[in-house]
Amino acid sequence: MPAIAGPSSSPQKHVVGSRLEVTGGLRSAEVNTCRKRKLRSDSAAEVSSSTPVNSISTPMKRCAVPIPKTSDEEIKEDSNGNLANPVISAAKNLDVESKWNPRDEEQMKAVKEALHVSKAPSTVVCREDEQRRVSEFVKSCMEQNKAGSLYICGCPGTGKSLSMEKVRQQAEDWAKQAGLPCPETVSVNCTSLTKTTDIFSKILGKNEFGRKANGSSSPLQKLQSLFSQKQQQSSSKMMIIIADEMDYLITRDRGVLHELFMLTTLPFSSCILIGVANAIDLADRFLPKLKSLNCKPLVVTFRAYSKEQILRILQERLVGLPYVAFQSNALEICARKVSAASGDMRKALCVCRSALEILGIEAKGSIDQQPQGPVQEYEVVKMDHMLAALSKTFKSPVVDTIQSLPQHQQIIVCSAAKAFRGSKKDRTIAELNKLYLAICKSSTITPAGITEFTNMCTVLNDQGILKLSQARDDKLRRVSLRVDEADITFALKEIRFFRNCLI
Amino acid sequence: MATTTPRSKTFKSPTKTPTTNNIYRKSYLSPSLTPQTPQTITPLRRSARHVSRRIDLGNEPIDVPENESKEEMNLIRKRERAPPRKQSVDDVSEKPKKPQSLKTPTKKTKVDSEVSFSPVSPNRTEKRKNKSEEVKKTKTKKRVYYNRVEFDETGFEIGDDVYVKRREDANSDEEDPEIEDCKICFKSGGSDDVMLECDDCLGGFHLKCLKPPLKDVPEGDWICQFCEVKKSGGPSQTLVVPKPPEGKKLARTMREKLLSSDLWAARIEKLWKEVGDGVYWIRVRWYMIPEETVSGRQPHNLKRELYLTNDFADIEMDCVLRHCFVKCPKEFSKASNDGDDVFLCEYEYDVHWHSFKRLAELVDGDSDSDQEWNGRKEEEVDDSDEEVEVEEDEESVRGDSKSKRGLTSVKGGANSRKGRFFGLEKVGAKQIPEHVRCHKQTELEKAKATLLLATRPKSLPCRNREMEEITAFIKGSISDDQCLGRCMYIHGVPGTGKTISVLSVMKNLKAEVEAGNVSPYCFVEINGLKLASPENIYSVIYEALSGHRVGWKKALHSLNERFAEGKNIGKEDDKPCILLIDELDLLVTRNQSVLYNILDWPTKPNSKLIVLGIANTMDLPEKLLPRISSRMGIQRLCFGPYNHTQLQEIISTRLNGIDAFEKTAIEFASRKVAAISGDARRALEICRRAAEVADHRLKTNKSAKSQLVIMGDVEAAIQEMFQAPHIQVMKSVSKLSKIFLTAMVHELYKTGMAETTFDRVATTISSICLTNGEAFPGWDILLKIGCDLGECRIILCEPGEKHRLQKLQLNFPSDDVAFALKDNKDLPWLANYL
Repeated sequence: MPAIAGPSSSPQKHVVGSRLEVTGGLRSAEVNTCRKRKLRSDSAAEVSSSTPVNSISTPMKRCAVPIPKTSDEEIKEDSNGNLANPVISAAKNLDVESKWNPRDEEQMKAVKEALHVSKAPSTVVCREDEQRRVSEFVKSCMEQNKAGSLYICGCPGTGKSLSMEKVRQQAEDWAKQAGLPCPETVSVNCTSLTKTTDIFSKILGKNEFGRKANGSSSPLQKLQSLFSQKQQQSSSKMMIIIADEMDYLITRDRGVLHELFMLTTLPFSSCILIGVANAIDLADRFLPKLKSLNCKPLVVTFRAYSKEQILRILQERLVGLPYVAFQSNALEICARKVSAASGDMRKALCVCRSALEILGIEAKGSIDQQPQGPVQEYEVVKMDHMLAALSKTFKSPVVDTIQSLPQHQQIIVCSAAKAFRGSKKDRTIAELNKLYLAICKSSTITPAGITEFTNMCTVLNDQGILKLSQARDDKLRRVSLRVDEADITFALKEIRFFRNCLI
Repeated sequence: MATTTPRSKTFKSPTKTPTTNNIYRKSYLSPSLTPQTPQTITPLRRSARHVSRRIDLGNEPIDVPENESKEEMNLIRKRERAPPRKQSVDDVSEKPKKPQSLKTPTKKTKVDSEVSFSPVSPNRTEKRKNKSEEVKKTKTKKRVYYNRVEFDETGFEIGDDVYVKRREDANSDEEDPEIEDCKICFKSGGSDDVMLECDDCLGGFHLKCLKPPLKDVPEGDWICQFCEVKKSGGPSQTLVVPKPPEGKKLARTMREKLLSSDLWAARIEKLWKEVGDGVYWIRVRWYMIPEETVSGRQPHNLKRELYLTNDFADIEMDCVLRHCFVKCPKEFSKASNDGDDVFLCEYEYDVHWHSFKRLAELVDGDSDSDQEWNGRKEEEVDDSDEEVEVEEDEESVRGDSKSKRGLTSVKGGANSRKGRFFGLEKVGAKQIPEHVRCHKQTELEKAKATLLLATRPKSLPCRNREMEEITAFIKGSISDDQCLGRCMYIHGVPGTGKTISVLSVMKNLKAEVEAGNVSPYCFVEINGLKLASPENIYSVIYEALSGHRVGWKKALHSLNERFAEGKNIGKEDDKPCILLIDELDLLVTRNQSVLYNILDWPTKPNSKLIVLGIANTMDLPEKLLPRISSRMGIQRLCFGPYNHTQLQEIISTRLNGIDAFEKTAIEFASRKVAAISGDARRALEICRRAAEVADHRLKTNKSAKSQLVIMGDVEAAIQEMFQAPHIQVMKSVSKLSKIFLTAMVHELYKTGMAETTFDRVATTISSICLTNGEAFPGWDILLKIGCDLGECRIILCEPGEKHRLQKLQLNFPSDDVAFALKDNKDLPWLANYL
């Protein structure tokens, strides 16, 4: 091995190279080391241009491979860092995948960035169908030059807003190709409105065709008059209004939402309204009148992501990176868990990031332990990292919380568990206090006073263990249990003191 | 002729009050003047003014006196708030004229300024002599500070406003006309010519050069014909601004130069002489013309408006050209006839934050001038290291400065010292009385002080893991070049060190920023409880980021632009922003839009926003709308309640080096607290109270051998703190009330019902009284006692009008009542019924 390493080979690269090599099959170690000699800095750019897809396809095997040891000599040589090696250029082409090193800040950063919510992927995968339906709707409206409304619903984190952004761009591109006038787009996030009626002035703000209406009428009236009159020649421009989080527009009389949809029914209206919200039946519940007018919006539902979809999206995001940071079954377990829980893509991304951070901490720890160690492991995020991240996210913290409570609060929880054992659903604080006093007396503990008791109940309420309802009098507040009694029994059975109480 | 002119007061400076320095001024004023205004008989007809193409007024016979250079002319500044005065002029000839409208030592200044870079100007030393009575020496070590310096025959004192040369064009202008030329005839002044100033272009016009000539200064605004044409947008050919005659260089006055930023104006803050080379220096505070501010000239800016900046500079005295007069609006309105060098300053301009602040109106109280002087003195000490102040001289300086200060600020007019705040250094600083400082603190007092909740601990034990996690989170987020927005939710029961941990992490990070390890960021800390309404958080964030205070709607708009669309709102924009929101749950509104917006921003690209939310509730994200909890992410950090070893460590670290507590006492206190709540605040409070109890005990009982806080003290403190106040109340109520309560407990035992009626209680009381030899008080009194106990909420009772049928109920467990009334010395028999 030392002979092969030559004057300038880097042991790190060397190691990775050999690891990769084994997966590919048997080759001579000589070729292997040569191949891996390259500049780290340009490796990313180089590789991403070649075949990045490969990196996804073989991650599992790679981790399983034992890591060959390198001699100390090589490390010394490496520290000199003779990077200007003529072999490099030749090696580049052969090099398909660069190494992944969790200790490398740059790489870590790049992966984190790829996993960040704000980084929109260039193409929205797994939402092609919905996207197509929306853009077809927009296109047909634009072709016929008629107004229309669309309602998009779906759980949080299912790519609604992202898809709308894409649809918007598509519509503009399509209009250019089709020779239609480019549509104006107004995208409003309704949470950022200070008043619900502000949405009309926002729409109007984009819709000014240089006309000056009389200042007295409200933006809504202006819009209405604009759409109910025959337009001049310039009016063939369509307008796409995307109202994100539309349910924030719901007022008590539902006036704003109603008027907004009614804009599309006006005779010379030219706006395509796309509303986005979580509730599936917003249109039915709040706009019954629209049905009678036969202009009920078309509904497109964004279903929660399935596990295959989540997996694909995660892979899609990571595919742009030149290195493999995640084991594929780790990604799969993440996808499974998240899809089972909520199907929220944001959550999946967060879990992946947190797993990555766990790995990073681990890698740093191993450096501290053996800073000069000749063997450096290149770990990817494996199952156990992912499981730790998942458990951090999805595990119910109840048991831990109860176990870490102060003793008196544990007694309260215990007495509550006893109190609600029967069919009774709730009790007043006074009743609970009586039970608590009984337990204290039986085990000769000085009980806390009633005010202190009430305070402790409030803290438990904050912790999500009890639920206190509001009442005129402190003593008359109803208490109910918010966690399962079995959880309490499980948590407290470890402590000998409570074993008798719970029976 | 002159006596009849209505413009008599022109030469009298209205702002100059006859003061000492006015007398002084006389000495260098030119001897006299002859005020003349042309007496035209034609009535003033402004409407009759018409535009003429041929204005060749220069050809008209103007009787120009021979000694033109000595001629005085009068530039009338006319503004709408200042109607021209109509008074007789004859008293003016005796009055001293304002120096700047007279012949001033401009030429001399010029000469001086040309040699300005030579270290010593020759005429200084002799000047120093003849005004020794005016110059107060503060100290002669390296610098000599003056309140007033005579320089080039002009007196400068602290608070004066002056023109200052820009270095680069120190020699550029050959002449400095004191009075500007008429825009039409291009002759400066005229013996009996009144000059009228256009309110738009500030150009001067001789009354008689105008077409038609004006006899008198018109009322109200007056705009010259050129500007009028320009404004009305008429064809420009109709009126051509007359070209100056060949060969005549168009001289500009200092005012023109200033407003075209060829000169600076500044206010003198300090005057001193370097002893080494004898050069006079001044420290000036710059004025700025509106064009130089970040917002540029606004339509509402007056032509002569200046802004006082908070920018200071030390310059050599040679750069000073002469006085100018910057006035507050009120005085400015009066100063319409004060010549050309009058300016208005209403606002202070912050050059760092680009914000404007209205200057405080002048209130010249003697009471605070002393204090101001102190502030000044400190400032001076801060500025110059070599300077040494001498105590005995200070008193006289102070007295002097007081009078001078009052004077100058009236004259300068723009500001009183009250309106000045530069940073926070002086706010809240209090002098500690001498006797407190000499008092030697005992160990117990030290312990009490260090156990106060307000005392910041030096280190935070037992929260290392959490702090590491927070540090890793923040560092991981801001260290990237492209900062990715993230949120973290921190929760835990009260008193577990949530806020203090985050703040100490931020403090460490700040140190790292200063060391250069971490890229700079801006940190905004908000407490939800301190917001008037949840929406106000937008304005608070916006103010922290940009320095401007706006309403929340506008702030929301701007913040949306900054975070969601990536537009810049302030200059600190490219930095990542860390937002710490304490008591996050208070931001929950009915439709939760505030939280949505704040948590939505980090998910936007380029937001560079990191949100740290702190609340007590563990399951706040789950209680919120799913769309919000989805955006909040999964970063949670739980601060569990402290256990007794942790509490013990916290208290011992606080008491490090103070030997006041027995170890067992601390352990006892921490165990007690840990069993009930695990709240560190409470543990500290108990220990502090125990120290107080011990202090009291040791003072009353001098013979105690140990000076430490013992278990008994802690026990007493805990008793005080944990024992509910109702026990104390019940122990101290009247005898009859005690009997009443006992009867209620007895009744409760007998019937087993929580509720009873007054009727029944009264019967029980009568029977109890009978058996124990007490006099039955009577129904009325019993009813009153019942009502009183009801008022204290010891019992719950219905309103009193039902009398004997009202229902009664004990508000506290009967055990508490029994405990409180058991060991009663007056009524030992009560125990039988409990």
